[in-house]
Amino acid sequence: MPRIGSALIVLLAAGALGAPDLQFYMTTDRPRVGLEDLFRVEIVVGNAPSDAELSLPASRDFEVLGRAESTQMSFSTGPGGSGHIDSVRKHTLTLRANRVGKLTIPPAVLKAGGAVHRTEAVTVEVVKGRLGGRQPPRQALNPFGLPPGFGGLPDEDLGEPMAEPDASDADLFVRATLDRSEVFVGEQMTYSLHIYSRLDLSSVDNVKPPKLDGFYSTDVKVPNTLMPEQRVLNGVPYRQYLLRSRALFPLKPGASTIEPAEVDITTGVFFAGRRVNRRSNPLTVKVLPLPPGGSSGVVGQWRLSREVSQTQVALGDPLQVRLRLAGKGNVQAVSLPVLKAPPGLKAYEPETRDRTEVKGNAIFGERVVEYTLLPQQTGSFELPAMGLEYFDPSTRTWETSRVEPVTITVVPAAGGPVAAGTTGPAAVDPNAKNQLVGGGLRPPRHSATFAAPPRPLYARGWFLPLVLGPVGLTALLGAASLARGALRRQSPQALQRQQARAAQRRLQAARRLAPGAPAAEFYAEVERALVGFLEAQLSEPLQGLTRPELAARLERAQVAEAERARILEVLERCDLGRYAREAGEAPARARALEDAAAAMEGWS
Amino acid sequence: MTAALLLALALGQYTPEEARALFQEGNEAYARGDHAGAQARYQKLVDAGLGGPDVLFNLGTAALAQGQLGPAVLYLERARRLRSDEDIEANLAVARSRQVDQVVGEDSAVPFTWRLADALDEPVVSSAFLASWLLGFALLLLAAVRGPGRRLGLGLAAATSLLLASGLGAAVAIHASVRSRVVEAVVMAPSAKVLELPAEGARTSFEVHAGLKVRLMEHSGKFARIRLPNALEGWTPLEAVAVLQP
Repeated sequence: MPRIGSALIVLLAAGALGAPDLQFYMTTDRPRVGLEDLFRVEIVVGNAPSDAELSLPASRDFEVLGRAESTQMSFSTGPGGSGHIDSVRKHTLTLRANRVGKLTIPPAVLKAGGAVHRTEAVTVEVVKGRLGGRQPPRQALNPFGLPPGFGGLPDEDLGEPMAEPDASDADLFVRATLDRSEVFVGEQMTYSLHIYSRLDLSSVDNVKPPKLDGFYSTDVKVPNTLMPEQRVLNGVPYRQYLLRSRALFPLKPGASTIEPAEVDITTGVFFAGRRVNRRSNPLTVKVLPLPPGGSSGVVGQWRLSREVSQTQVALGDPLQVRLRLAGKGNVQAVSLPVLKAPPGLKAYEPETRDRTEVKGNAIFGERVVEYTLLPQQTGSFELPAMGLEYFDPSTRTWETSRVEPVTITVVPAAGGPVAAGTTGPAAVDPNAKNQLVGGGLRPPRHSATFAAPPRPLYARGWFLPLVLGPVGLTALLGAASLARGALRRQSPQALQRQQARAAQRRLQAARRLAPGAPAAEFYAEVERALVGFLEAQLSEPLQGLTRPELAARLERAQVAEAERARILEVLERCDLGRYAREAGEAPARARALEDAAAAMEGWS
Repeated sequence: MTAALLLALALGQYTPEEARALFQEGNEAYARGDHAGAQARYQKLVDAGLGGPDVLFNLGTAALAQGQLGPAVLYLERARRLRSDEDIEANLAVARSRQVDQVVGEDSAVPFTWRLADALDEPVVSSAFLASWLLGFALLLLAAVRGPGRRLGLGLAAATSLLLASGLGAAVAIHASVRSRVVEAVVMAPSAKVLELPAEGARTSFEVHAGLKVRLMEHSGKFARIRLPNALEGWTPLEAVAVLQP
């Protein structure tokens, strides 16, 4: 029967070691019923003093159809070997709701030892019609006043339909239960192992738990002593003992089967005991995959927080950053985000501490990761925001628990040690320096020239012509010069004509001389022209020869006498012209030019 | 202003003001830690043909800040080819230190021509060559025109200038030859298999990773033959590498 409702209130009685604890709680077997359904409320009072007065809950919303009481007593040994007798009295009310809605069963009240104790109220959701499930037998409840445990009490609902135990097992069997048949990956469910017995038990010698492959598990309850509770199953009263309960967190989706557990039990008392072996029933659970919307894989209800020892610190002075995750779920399966310390704060390997706590049947966990940061530079640094994403199975949604960024200010060290004998915080290291560490990426340029990457100069169209041009030109000029020289050497007649033309040009040059030019210059030019002409015609140098020598050369060259005479006359006039004043006059110059030209033209 | 407008029209995308604004946006994104946003903006400028050495440096740095070694090395190397400076060399050193690959037995005797081509400031050398070349021929022509007795000085000057031009011309020729023959590339894929043959089912010789600079020897179909500095060779998918010369 799933236990739903109030929490167990355990009061530790002061006094002798081994004194029994007061137990007082109320539970219901069904949190949701139909208007026509019956359900049970059980009020348990354990180890109450003799003057205890119990007031059962009463409400106009519910009709009490039946009431039963049972008492069980047991002897158990506690720590140190001391023994005590436990007395547990149970009051069972069979109820039916009078209206639809979320109704509250008020707490039961126990006055004992001068104190007033209350259970917690129990909420039941009532809907229209009938939800089915087990109905308590409509029979008179204990009409004959039989002792508790013998007839008249409603049967125990063990959750899953169970086959009749074998005849041999009917008096003693082991039952495994899960509080949930369908969970998400990583969500807690509770596995409980009970012994049901109609025999006297001497001891439980060995418990071989089932393999829990595919689950992470941790103990919820492992009783040191077996505390019996009265249960009725199929009309047969049994004593129920909790062997252990474990919290299971499935690791993968799908259908999983939990194999039976095995228990070795010694029945009987004193030396008449008999050892028997019993196996529990297998269990099947459906594990659902986490819905989309997140990827962390963390399941539960978590809260992330961050504490910083100080937000302003001196250079060289360490500070602590404590990252804390607390909440309901399997803390072993959680990976906290890693604190990324900004450059300038050196982070050391953190210390991690885990703590687990059981509250009722739920596992609560806490993980604390403590970082020590040592500032290496002065300035302001920001510890970035952090978040942890998790899936909350109660709301079936992905949630994120965040911490906001924190700014740490590092100031230069104050310097100087604290004087001996003074109190106060330890001196900051005066030698701590603002470390400016080089390396890393060079920053981007703040300005740029926006141009397409240029082509190489040699790849541009004008480069090659510019290089080859002078070469071509030089080659061309050289070729022309060679050609000219070649032409001169090959044709003496052409050379003669060239020289003759040169002489004519010189005569023309003389003619162009200004009338005011000195006579010596004019007649020298005329003489050079005529001699140059003669050199061209005779192909021999004649410059510097005296007139008789020149005459002889002309004669040897078989120049006609008349021509010889004309040439000599012109040359003589040139000689005279250098010195005679009247020869410098224009008419005389003109006559000299005509005679020289006539001499050249009349050459044959 | 006219030149800027013509440039914008020629490039067809950004005016100079728009380019400056986009560049500034990239810098601001980088400053607030949005390296991806900065990279996208610099990339736009490069795609628009405005990839000068500064823009390429910033693009490579933004890629490196995000751990994208392939693009980081590619753009930093391209920037270095345009204008080498300390910042580019420093960030390239950081990128190399983060590379997965270590080329063992690397041949340290890099050909002299490659080193020369790498070290040359091409525009300067080409301009100096042209100047000395043209000067030499001009002096030669002048010497030819002058009469005897005045040619010696000019001739010597012409010879000196042409000798200098020859040396510079050789350097330019080496640079051009190396750049046309030696095609370098950078591995862009996080991991690329290098096969014995240019075929899908060929045996894998080794693997290379992002940021490694290789030489591209040839390509066949969708494979390219790459050579590492230590002469390791093989065929890798063409899409896994990016050529250094844009």
